[in-house]
Amino acid sequence: MFSTIYIEEEVLESERVKALLDRFSQVPQVVCGRYGEVFNRKSQNFRLQKKAPALILAKKHGKKVLAAPSGYGYNDSKSYYFSHMLNCVYDCRYCFLQGMYSSANYVLFVNFDDFEEAIEEKIKENNGGGVYYSGYDCDSLALEPVSNFCRHFLPVFRRHPNAELEIRTKSTQVRCLLDTEVVSNCVIAMSFTTSEAAQQWEHKVPSIEKRLEALHKLQLAGWKVAIRFEPLILGSEGMAPYESLFTQIFSKLDVQKLHSVSSGLFRMPVDFHKRIVKLYPDEELYARPTETVDGMIALKSAHESSHLLAIEKLLLSYVSSEQYYRCA
Amino acid sequence: MIENAKYPMPVNIVVAHGLEAKALITILGLERDQASSEFMEYSNSTMLRLIVSGMGKEAIAAAVSYLGKRQALEGAEIRAWLNIGIAGHRDAPIGSAWLGNKITDKGSGTSAYPPQLIEGFQVGSVVTVEEPETLYPLTAAYEMEASAFYAEATKYSTAELVQVFKVISDNLENPISEIDLQTIPDLIAAQAPQIISLINGMSEIAVGHNSSQQLPSCYHEICSKIHLTVSQQLLLKRLCQRYKALGLEDELRRVTDLNASSARQLIQQLTECIDRISEI
Ligand code: SF4
Repeated sequence: MFSTIYIEEEVLESERVKALLDRFSQVPQVVCGRYGEVFNRKSQNFRLQKKAPALILAKKHGKKVLAAPSGYGYNDSKSYYFSHMLNCVYDCRYCFLQGMYSSANYVLFVNFDDFEEAIEEKIKENNGGGVYYSGYDCDSLALEPVSNFCRHFLPVFRRHPNAELEIRTKSTQVRCLLDTEVVSNCVIAMSFTTSEAAQQWEHKVPSIEKRLEALHKLQLAGWKVAIRFEPLILGSEGMAPYESLFTQIFSKLDVQKLHSVSSGLFRMPVDFHKRIVKLYPDEELYARPTETVDGMIALKSAHESSHLLAIEKLLLSYVSSEQYYRCA
Repeated sequence: MIENAKYPMPVNIVVAHGLEAKALITILGLERDQASSEFMEYSNSTMLRLIVSGMGKEAIAAAVSYLGKRQALEGAEIRAWLNIGIAGHRDAPIGSAWLGNKITDKGSGTSAYPPQLIEGFQVGSVVTVEEPETLYPLTAAYEMEASAFYAEATKYSTAELVQVFKVISDNLENPISEIDLQTIPDLIAAQAPQIISLINGMSEIAVGHNSSQQLPSCYHEICSKIHLTVSQQLLLKRLCQRYKALGLEDELRRVTDLNASSARQLIQQLTECIDRISEI
C-alpha cells in the first residue's frame, strides 16, 4: 500500500502513529525531522512518485482551518476548509494537486485533537455555525481505513448541530459511516464526471456504478448526500454523455432527498497548470487551447457558455433550482 | 547478462574506488572509455556509464558534476544516478547490502531521503562521515560519499532516480583496519543480481520518463533549418508536444512543410492551426 512510511520525530510517541506503525510493520519505516524534508522538495517528480507513493505521518503546525476559496460552497454561510491529509490515493489527470505539490506522497497529519480544537474555535466564532469542507487537498474517505478520519471528526460535528461538515470524496469507503449513527449536519458529497471523462482521466477511482451504489446505501441509511459534477470538461460528444450520466445517477438516488447538486468547470491556477504541463506534456487534456482569466487557466471554447447552459437545463429537469448551484 | 540488453539503460554508476569498479566492469560488460581524461570512465552500448570518482565527498561531487554537466550538453534526456560502494556497520554481516532510504551527513547533521520507487530491496540508513568510522554508533551503513553524491546528482536528475547502494565490508567484529582490500570486488560481485535488478528498475523509470517527454522528430528538423531564439525554441517545443499529445503529428508536418518565411510566422501558423483544430 505504501512504499515507505516516514515519521516525524515529534509524533513518534503518538498513539495513532504507534498503532499505524504496528499495523504496517512490514513497510520500511524512516524517521525524519519535519515532513518538509521528505515532501515537496525541489528535485522531486509528482508523476514518478505516483508509481509508489509513501505515507508521511506528521504534525500540522500553524493554521488548521482556513477560509474556503470564494465560490466553493453552496450557501452564504461562512465557509472553511481543513486538510488532515495532503494528496490523494487516486490519480485524476485533471487534479490540481499534481501542480500544487512536487511530491505525490501522502501526508497524514495525526494531531487530530489540534484540528478539533481549531474547528471548535471557528464554530464558536460563527455562533455555532459555518460550513466546513474536508477533502480540498485530499480525498477525505479514500484513506479512511488508515486515517480513521470519520471516527474522530463526526462526533465533533454531532456536538455542533448548526455547523455543517461536507466530506468531498470519490471513494466508496463508506463502511465507517454506515456503522455510525447518522450525523444530520454532515453531507457526503460525491464527485462525478461523465463515464467517458472518468475512463480517460480518473485513474484508480472506483467506477461510477460503485460510487453510486455507495451513495445509495448512505441515502438509505439516512445520510445526507450531495452530487458534485466537477470538473466539467466539455468534449466533442455533445450532451449525450451527460444525458446518460444524469439518468444513471438520478434513477438510482432519491432526488428529493439530495442535499445539493453542483457543477463546476475545469479551472486551475496558472502556475499549477504550467507545472502539470511539464509533468504531462503527452496528455491530451493539457494540449488543448486555454485562456487565462484572473490568474486561472480555463479550456478555451467558443461554446462553453451554451454548453454549460444546456447541461444546467438538463440537470434542472431532474433537480430543483433550490438544490442546484454552480461553482465559481 | 546485461551487455546483451536490447533496451537502453541510461544509468550513471559512480564508485569511489577502482576496486569497487572492478567487479562492476565485469558484471556489466563495461569497457574503458578513453575520451575522458579527468576520471576513469567505463561504458557499454546500453548507455550504462561508470565513473570512478576517488574517495570522499569532494571527489564524488566533482565527478558527478563533471559527468552531469557534460551529459547536459549532450541532450535533454535525464539519466539515473547510482552510487555503489562499501560501508561499515556495527553488526550487519559482511556482504549484506541495502539501498539507502535516509542519507545523513554527519558533518552538517542534515538528512536526505531518496524516494523509493523500486520494490524488492533491503533498505536502510546511510551515514556519510569525513573519516572512517570505527564505532558505528547508529544503526546505519557508514561511508564517505553518499551525502555529497545525492546532493550533487539531484542537480542533474530527479530525486527518484538518484540512489545509493551500500555493501557492508566491515563491522565491530571485522574492523576496518583489517579489511583485505582484495576481497572488495568479491563483495560487490556477490550482489550482482541485486545490482542488475536495481539498474533495470532505474532504467525502466528513466526510459519511461524520457519517452513521455520526447519531442516529435519534426522539432529537431525545424531547429536545424530555421534560426530560433531561446524563447521561440520553447514555444515551438510546447507546440510540437501539443500536436503529438493530440495525435496531430501529420498536421504538424503539413504546417511545417508550408515553408514559413520566419520562425515567428511558423509559430503563429502552428498555433492558429492547433487551436482551431483542438478547440471544443
Ligand atoms: S479524487 Fe479528487 S483529490 Fe483525488 S486525484 Fe481525483 S481530483 Fe484529485
